[in-house]
Amino acid sequence: MTLATGKVGIICCSGEDFAEGTISRVATRLVLEKLRPDQTVTLCLPLFLAGGEDERAFARVFPTIAVDGCSKKCAEAGTKKFSGKPVATVLVSEVMKKYPHLKVRSREKLEPQEMELATKVAEEIAKKVDEILCKTAKK
Amino acid sequence: MSPQSLAEDKVAIIPCAGMDKALGSIARACAFKVVEKLRPDKTVLVCIPPLVAGVKPFSEIVKTYPSIPIDGCAERCATKIAVKNGARIKGRILIPESVQKHNLKPKSASDIGPDGEKLAEKLAEEIAIEIDRLLGK
Repeated sequence: MTLATGKVGIICCSGEDFAEGTISRVATRLVLEKLRPDQTVTLCLPLFLAGGEDERAFARVFPTIAVDGCSKKCAEAGTKKFSGKPVATVLVSEVMKKYPHLKVRSREKLEPQEMELATKVAEEIAKKVDEILCKTAKK
Repeated sequence: MSPQSLAEDKVAIIPCAGMDKALGSIARACAFKVVEKLRPDKTVLVCIPPLVAGVKPFSEIVKTYPSIPIDGCAERCATKIAVKNGARIKGRILIPESVQKHNLKPKSASDIGPDGEKLAEKLAEEIAIEIDRLLGK
């Protein structure tokens, strides 16, 4: 991993226990590849938790956003424990409350309705990225 | 945990699900195929983040059942985390080796593509055979 300025690290739980973990993963990829490709990098949570020093160093120096699927908030807790508190957390289960018509069922492949929810979560992440970079630029 | 409490009727599947590479997506895809389709009654899926956080039941599952970690890259995070949390590793999948073995390369982290799907299916079948062997069936 190369350290760079003006970047925000996205750490998603990518949990397998619930469909919301899959949403967190797909939403994060949407931000990285489509919405904010030049402003974001992803930190691999398993590597981070297993002791990846590059990942942990990045999260100590650069602002991070945790994207958690459920209320256990493992991505947020892991980042806080090994590097520092994320500047923001996006909780998929909270975003879902805003869109009650969008249901999630599949953990493996997302259906169109689930993809729509992933897009909504990605937009929330992108908004947080903009807020963080705006604050950083003002300093 | 006493040896008496160790169970041999299920196998814990521990995929890395790494975000950085397409092979993390393969780890995830083949784990779902095993636990949801091929051997749903003989497996439990272990989610790594809560395992590290010490959340039950994951912290107990890895100590109770024989485990198969699925690693997406040479960092071998799933295996390292499983070992650190007291898992009994009875089999292991290192996906980069499987890519070479089957000559199937996934497209990307967000879309594994047809070859990635085939690779995930082949790995899931290999894991299912290993589960049967471990459980003596």
